[in-house]
Amino acid sequence: MSQAVAEERELTMSRAMVEAIASEMREDEEVFVMGEDIADYGGIFGSTQGLREEFGYDRIMDVPIAETSFIGAGVGAAQAGMRPIVELMFADFFGVAMDQIYNNMAKNTYMSGGSFSVPMVLMTAVGGTYNDAAQHSQTLYGTFAHLPGMKVVVPSNAYDAKGLMHNAIRDDDPVVYMFHKRLMGLGWMPSPEGPKVGVPEEPYTIPFGEAEVKREGADATVVTLGLHVHRALDAAEELAGDGIEAEVIDLRTLTPLDTDTILESVGKTGRLVVVDEDYRSFGVTSEIMAVAAEDALADLEAVKRVAMPDVPIPYSRPLEQEVNPDAEDIATAVRDVQ
Amino acid sequence: MSGDRVAVDTAAVWPDDVEAEEGVVVNWFAREGRAVNEGETLCEIQVEKVSVDVPAPKAGELVEIVLGEDDEFVKGDTLAWIQPS
Repeated sequence: MSQAVAEERELTMSRAMVEAIASEMREDEEVFVMGEDIADYGGIFGSTQGLREEFGYDRIMDVPIAETSFIGAGVGAAQAGMRPIVELMFADFFGVAMDQIYNNMAKNTYMSGGSFSVPMVLMTAVGGTYNDAAQHSQTLYGTFAHLPGMKVVVPSNAYDAKGLMHNAIRDDDPVVYMFHKRLMGLGWMPSPEGPKVGVPEEPYTIPFGEAEVKREGADATVVTLGLHVHRALDAAEELAGDGIEAEVIDLRTLTPLDTDTILESVGKTGRLVVVDEDYRSFGVTSEIMAVAAEDALADLEAVKRVAMPDVPIPYSRPLEQEVNPDAEDIATAVRDVQ
Repeated sequence: MSGDRVAVDTAAVWPDDVEAEEGVVVNWFAREGRAVNEGETLCEIQVEKVSVDVPAPKAGELVEIVLGEDDEFVKGDTLAWIQPS
């Protein structure tokens, strides 16, 4: 991104995540990682690359394909005072471990009357754009943000990925850390321009519940997250050529949600476009619009949502490109609300 | 500044266990003008699906990037030039 200067070291998002995890592991021996293919392979999307070499198999643990077991083991380890980072290889696989995630990880602190904390990070790969079909391409942001008890983090670039990971590991409550595969900077799945940015070598945290205004504009508010931050910025650049100034907000965390930044922007622009790679119905787009309608109805002139239609994500490349919102779809929506 | 520019050489980091003579640049982690430390990872290249981190051979200024991201190269091509400090 343009904030990078020549003197600064840049990292891909995957390397920024690894740097944060390694730093926390050096500081606290209770921090460990487990998941499928996270040791020798380094995570199929690079989220644990090189950690096994430094920390060994006791703290970087490959597990069998048994999500209920190893996510449950993570909850137990967290309750016993450790700080597990558990990788769910694809968010799409959450279904087989739903009880462990929603009923145990998310609720054991509440159900035990505060006797237990669950300081666990569930990190998981989300998103499509690479023709991996309906069971390996979902974001499911709304699914995880819907139920109380978990914080939900969605970084859009390497700087945020590192700061949010530090914060997630140090948090005494369960955090779901959802990283978009297309943003990781992998050789076989090249990222767009944008996620690779300057990253300080020292540790730092980014607090949850603070959205970032990535670009200022007075004509429309575009609220989004993850991969679509970059598509929205592309759209804003194109719109600026036509004299339309779009403000782009990167939510960064869904739970807690930074409603203040959204409402402040809507108060300025009066026009709200919400962009989401998750399904259209009952998701992030509906939630953000409901917040705006409840708390800023008088400010609203027009609203539009841009999201994945309510269909299984197609395997076919042209069909997937059709359903996954692109910069042109976002630009069209912003023009529609003018 | 002291001495001649030093090449960041693809042959120096070529993986042992591949037959391929060609590779591709995946990521740069430094831009031209950055002062780099010896051994600091400058970029990532890929040879026959093997990913390799390329360290700076000398401390100095990264004065020229010859091969950008997505550029293809053959073994022995120069990735960049460092002016030793």
